[in-house]
This record gives sequence, structure tokens and C-alpha cells, in this order.
Amino acid sequence: MGSKGYIFGRLVQILITLWIILTMLFFFFRLGLPDPTVALVSEGLSPDDRQIIIERFGLDQPLFTQYFIYLRNVFVGEFGTSFHYKAPISGLIGEKLLNTLVLMIPAVLIAYIIGPLLGVLLTWKRGTKLEMGGITVGLFFRSAPMFWTGMLFVMFFGIYLNWFPTSGMRTLPYEAANFFQKIFTLDFLHHLIMPMMVIVLYYTALPMLIMRNTMLETMGEDFIEFCRARGVSMRKVMYKHAARNALLPVVTQAAVTAGLAVGGQVVVEVVFSWPGLGMEMLNAVRTSDYPLAQATFLLLASMVLAMNLFADILYSKLDPRVVYKRNV
Amino acid sequence: MRKKTTIRVILLSLVLLFFTSLSLASLVPEIELITTTEAYDPIRYEAAFMIAEEWRTLGFRVNVRPMEFSTILAKFYDEQDFDATILGWSGRVERLDPQHFLGTLHGEQTDPGANNPGGYVNPIYDALFEAQSKEFDVNRRRVLVHEMQAIAARDMPVNVLFYRDEVNAYNNTTFANYVIMAGEALYNEWTPLNVVPLTDNKVLTIGTPQEPDNINPLSSTSVWGWKFMRMTYDKLVRLSENVEPIPWAAEEIIPVDDLTVDIILRSGMTFHDGMPVTVQDVKFTFDYYIEKDFAYFRPFYRMIERTDIIGNSRVRFTLKEPYAPFVTVTLTQIPILPKHIWENIENPADLTPAQVPTVGSGPFMFDRYDRGEYKRILTFKDHFAADQINIDAVEYIIYADAEGVFTGLLTGEIDMTAWRLEPGQVPLAERESHITVVSVPDFGYYHLTMNLRREPFDNAVVRKALSHLIDKDTIINVLLQGRGEPGSSVVAPINAFWHNPDIVKYEYNPELARQLLENAGFTWDAQGRIMYPE
Repeated sequence: MGSKGYIFGRLVQILITLWIILTMLFFFFRLGLPDPTVALVSEGLSPDDRQIIIERFGLDQPLFTQYFIYLRNVFVGEFGTSFHYKAPISGLIGEKLLNTLVLMIPAVLIAYIIGPLLGVLLTWKRGTKLEMGGITVGLFFRSAPMFWTGMLFVMFFGIYLNWFPTSGMRTLPYEAANFFQKIFTLDFLHHLIMPMMVIVLYYTALPMLIMRNTMLETMGEDFIEFCRARGVSMRKVMYKHAARNALLPVVTQAAVTAGLAVGGQVVVEVVFSWPGLGMEMLNAVRTSDYPLAQATFLLLASMVLAMNLFADILYSKLDPRVVYKRNV
Repeated sequence: MRKKTTIRVILLSLVLLFFTSLSLASLVPEIELITTTEAYDPIRYEAAFMIAEEWRTLGFRVNVRPMEFSTILAKFYDEQDFDATILGWSGRVERLDPQHFLGTLHGEQTDPGANNPGGYVNPIYDALFEAQSKEFDVNRRRVLVHEMQAIAARDMPVNVLFYRDEVNAYNNTTFANYVIMAGEALYNEWTPLNVVPLTDNKVLTIGTPQEPDNINPLSSTSVWGWKFMRMTYDKLVRLSENVEPIPWAAEEIIPVDDLTVDIILRSGMTFHDGMPVTVQDVKFTFDYYIEKDFAYFRPFYRMIERTDIIGNSRVRFTLKEPYAPFVTVTLTQIPILPKHIWENIENPADLTPAQVPTVGSGPFMFDRYDRGEYKRILTFKDHFAADQINIDAVEYIIYADAEGVFTGLLTGEIDMTAWRLEPGQVPLAERESHITVVSVPDFGYYHLTMNLRREPFDNAVVRKALSHLIDKDTIINVLLQGRGEPGSSVVAPINAFWHNPDIVKYEYNPELARQLLENAGFTWDAQGRIMYPE
């Protein structure tokens, strides 16, 4: 079976998974969130007016009719109208997604560059105070809730030292003809540093520890012994030979993390008032805005699936031993 | 035949006797007290348990039932299936007119779905309600409104629990002369018109934890939308900071008779695009809202029969029925739209955010809105009120939550907050010398409504006794950290013009409560459960 057949099989799998996710999202939001008309109208709007809103959003239709309308719309790439903003959803989440990506991509990249390198270092310095310290600090930031780290950053670097702005992407108001003009400024970088640091601190520990653990295994293998015997320097053995072989689990993790990153770290976006997809998601849930919530969660799920596929494909490049074949 | 009849009579008497013997000294039925879930509102949730605890001390059997908010609404309004329910009315600005809140006790609003689910009916109250809603003279109307509050307090169909305080804060080093308004605290329509800069910065920056749903005057259904748009659109009448109607875009209001009100439009006004504001625009606006039937505004325009232009500056409104709040509610809420822009828009509710026109004639003109981040309005120099405005612009920074707003206040990023501070932030704010905290009671209220169709709330003595068993001060001190006022009337004390301060108040007094019940012949059984008089 060639890799083309494999990828086709995976795509079918992904479509089925997406359909299951769509269905779950649809029913879970309707079961779990309060009646959107309660969120839509301030407390005490007359029942007549509530009824009008219910009809306007099609909520008076049977649940299954709503479900099929929804499936059909998603199939043609139409996510409907937000209950809350009363505007087409595609126009609402595009820029929010970009805002999230410019925060998350650098953060994930940095975490997955620094993380594995640190992991190698920890293996190399095994048994020293450096290793102990590295693991402790890494686990500390991994375990500390991000909103907490974020709030400490705001308090210390924002309010007390006044080094960094505490909210938003830019100093308001700003003029930007397009998205690139918006982010290619020092002001943006200034705003980016704090939230990005919080995410990096949180994300670094995982690749670092995974790297360290796999490295320890790899280090015991014969080929490492052989390299050492050939007189290759320790640095070269570590970073070139052992690290390359220990990288696989890190890549899987990186792909999953990158997928999840699209949803943004909701708490970080809230703490720093970052106008991204995560904040939009939260608002959608807060206001029982089913269509918007469905669209944002679907976007998140698709990214995770796509990234997983990407990781599978990347495997073969990193490790020729991986061969594509369907389950026998 | 006769025999059969005799048997029937005997049977009937037996049945009657059976029921009479039951009703003799029968137990007062158990009360189900419905409240919100703890997650939805911990204050109402806890309050219900505190009240139930007190009621039990006098032998009432009380069962507290926390429910999902939408379920409560359905049970309370639509099905009227409740004994007693704790709910709230929000202080929307048009409710500063007493019409709405007095209507919640109106005998004609007891149908399922209407605003008086408790089922209170008092013909004298209803007659006064009809009379006040036709009385265009505010002072005469006020007498009637006061009398109604006195009657309602005596009958006690609804216990107004408390009015929450709105706690706002501003930076006292950047601007002065903030206006503090009933129910709206700092973020009212007068603050931007009145603030005076203390530095060179002439842009007032407001921090808000939420943003408008949209800024389409035919689609927005949120306070965030309307509190923003009322600066860029003019109304015929605005409510002063003391909640008195003052002519605004209208130069004069002339009540012609019960069903006719004329307005004289102020001359020389222009829209932000330079076009003059004419009586055509005024007539068009009202016709347009009625034609498009914008549900959120329906309470404001549904009494309008027709709108006619009389001469160059006069518009005549003909009403379907006499309606006193026409000036204080309708004319203060409906924004004047430019006819030349809106007349071509067939389905205004379907406009996308980019298509929504923003031209009004208000004291500020729309400049920009970056969703999720920022809004700005600029002072409209050609406005008739522009001379008194001391700032160049108002900008709004949109934060993710109240914490972000508060941080903005601490760092000096914003000058004032648009929404209440969290309870934990208040002492922190008070500690800062550059921050001034202001606290204003809301005119919306939380209430405990009793179902007068059911036992034991059909009995006025029970209602009064139970009212003496609600410790409002403790509820406010414990649950609201003291940020609230004990409730008395449906028309809140902060609404000073309409509120009647001399009505009966039911202070917390368990002894008096017991006395009332004993005097009415209530007794207690061996287990201490309260029983009806024999």
C-alpha cells in the first residue's frame, strides 16, 4: 500500500471524526448551555418578545430539523448567523483566528525549540544540580495554572515595574491597513512579550521532559556507544545522534499542541484581554451563542485533526523506519 | 325517588363534614421557595436559604428549590406554577418611569406570560394605575403614583428584597466633574457632556468588560449597544441626571389632549454628514421603527397610532390610548435616524457590521469600532450642546473581564469604569489615592413574589408576618458586603421623584411576626408546625 492510499484512508477517517464532532457539538451545546433567549435578552423582557426572538433564530423548530439544517449549512461552508452579534460568523472569527495565531505560533515555536534543547542539556548534565533545578522549574510552570502565572506577570511586570502593557495587542488606537501592518511593529512586540512568555513557560516543560526521558533510553543504545568509540565529541553525540532519534515523541506532542493552540489559551487571552479566538469562544458560551460556539469549537477540532495527520506524515521524514500501511 | 334523594343529601353532608373537619385547624401547607442556582447567582441562592431558615422558626415548612434560570422564567411567568419565587427586574433606563414597575402589580397583567405572575388584584390600585397612565401632568401623576405604592405596601403581594449598589470608579487626576446618575452610576449620557479635563489630555477613556452586540439601531438588544449609540444619536427628549425629562432635539413638548402630543423640533440641527435634521426625519424614524417592527422597541412605540407633520417644525403624535409615559419613555428612547440614509434599507436587521450606517445627529459622532478592542466617538462641533463639551473625544477600551478593566484603572490606561467593580476590587480601589470610588443604588430590584392564588399566600396576615421575618440588613451586609439598600417599594428610593418614602416598611421583627399570626388565630401543633385558625 503506497502512501497515497494511506493518506486517502486517513482523510476518510478524519471526515467521519468531524461528523461525530459536529453532532456532539450540536447536541452538547443545546443540552449544556442555558436557553439562548435568556442570554440574549436582559432579565425581564416580556415573554411575547422572547417568543419573537425564538422564532427569528429558528429555535422553535424541532431539534432534528435544526440539526439537519446545521449539517447542510456546514457542508456548504456556511456557519450561519451569530445569535449575539447578529452577523455572519465567517466574518466574525477570521481576524480573531489570526490574532490568536500570532500569539500562539511564536509561543509554541519557542517552547518546542527551547524545550528539546533543554531536554538534551538535562540528559547531558544528568545527576547535577542543574538537572534537578531544570526539572523543578519546568514542572513548576507546567503545574501552575496559566491564569495565575499571568496575573502575577500583570501585577509584577505590568503594574509594579510598568515594563509591559497589561492588555490588548497594540496601544489603542492604532491604524493598520491590514493584518501585517498591525503586527509588524515594535508596539505589537511589546504587547506580545508578556502573554507569550506565560505560554512559553507553560509549554516548555513538556517537550523538555519528553526529550529527556527518550534521550535517556537512546543513550543506552549500541549506536551511541559506537559513536563514542569512534571518538565523536559528546556535544555532537548528544545533539546530532541521540537527539535526532529521541525527537519522534516530541514531534507528536508538538503537532497536538499546535492544533490545540488554535483555540488559544483561553485563560491567557482573558487575563491579557487578547482579542483572539479563545476569548470569542468564551463569549459564545457565555451568551449561549450556539452557532458561534459550534464554529469556534469545530475550527479547533479540525486543526487538531489536521495537525495529527501532519505529524504522521512528518514521521516518515524523521524516521525512515516508519512505513505507511493500513491496519492489517 | 325520595329515598335516593335522601341518600344523596346524607352522602353530600358526610362529604362536606369530612372536608370541614379537615379544614378545622389544618396545617399551613408547605411552601416551595424557588430561587436561582448557586452558579447563576450566589446571592439569590444564599438569600433564599437565609429567608427559609427564618420562616421555619415560626413553624412554616419551607422547601428551597434552586432551578435553572430559564426554568424559573417558564415556571414563574408562563405557567405561574410556584408558591414563592426570588427573581429580579433589571433597571433598564426606561423603567425610571414608574409605569413598568407599577404595572407588575396591575390586576390586568395577571394572565400567564404577563408581568404580574403573583396574581395581585386590587380594584383601587388598578383604578389608580389607569388614572396615572393617562395623566400628562407629572405632579398630579406623582400623587397617584405615591398612593399606589402605599396601597401595595399595605397589601404586601411582593416583597422587594433589596436594590444593589452599582460601584464604579474613576481616576481623579485626569478628569473632574463626573456625573453620577440614578441606576447608571458613572456611565451615563451626561458624563461625556460634563467632564472637565485636568490635564492636556482631552480624550475621556472608558474601560468596559463587554462590547455591544452590534451598533445597528434596528438590531441591537443590549445595554452596551444602546449606551454607546445614545451618544451618537439624538433623542427628542433626554432624562436629566435627576431623571426629569428635558426637551433635547425637541424644543418644546405640547400635550394637546389625552391622545395627542405635539413636539416642536429644534431648528438648525444637522446630521454628522451635514444634512439638516428635519421633521421629515422625525416622522420617518417613528414610521420606520413601527413598519420594521423592532421587537426590542415595541414597548416604546406600540401606543402610537400615527405621526403627522404640521408645518415646518411641528410633529404631531396621535396615540391609540392615553399614555402618560409617552414623553418620559417613548421620546427619550427612540433615536432620530437620518431619512436619506435609512429609507433605502429594506431589511435593516440583516445588515452586516460593515454595512450598518453610523450617521446620527448626536453630540458625538461615530469614529471607529474595532470589535473586541476599541471604540471611539468624536465631539460633533456643530451640535447645539457642543459649546458645553470640554473634551474632544470619548474612547472605549474593551477588556476581557472586570479584572482587565480594574488593571486599566490602576495603571492609568482608562479614566473611568463602565460597569460595576467586583466586590473584592472595591477595597483595593479605595486604597489608591488616584482613584475615587462611587456607589449608587440601582433602581432595578430583587424581589420575592408570592403566589396569591395559593395557600398560604392568599392570606394577607401570612404575607405580612413572613415579611417581618426577612432580615434584609443581614442579607445585604453578608451577601452584598454592604453594597445595597434594603427594599421597600417597586419604585426605588433612588428614583426620588416617583418614590414614596412614607409607605409601611416591614422591619425584621420575629416577635411582631409571631404576634400578628397569634392575633389572627394561628396556632402551632405539638411538633411546632403552624396551623390555620380553627
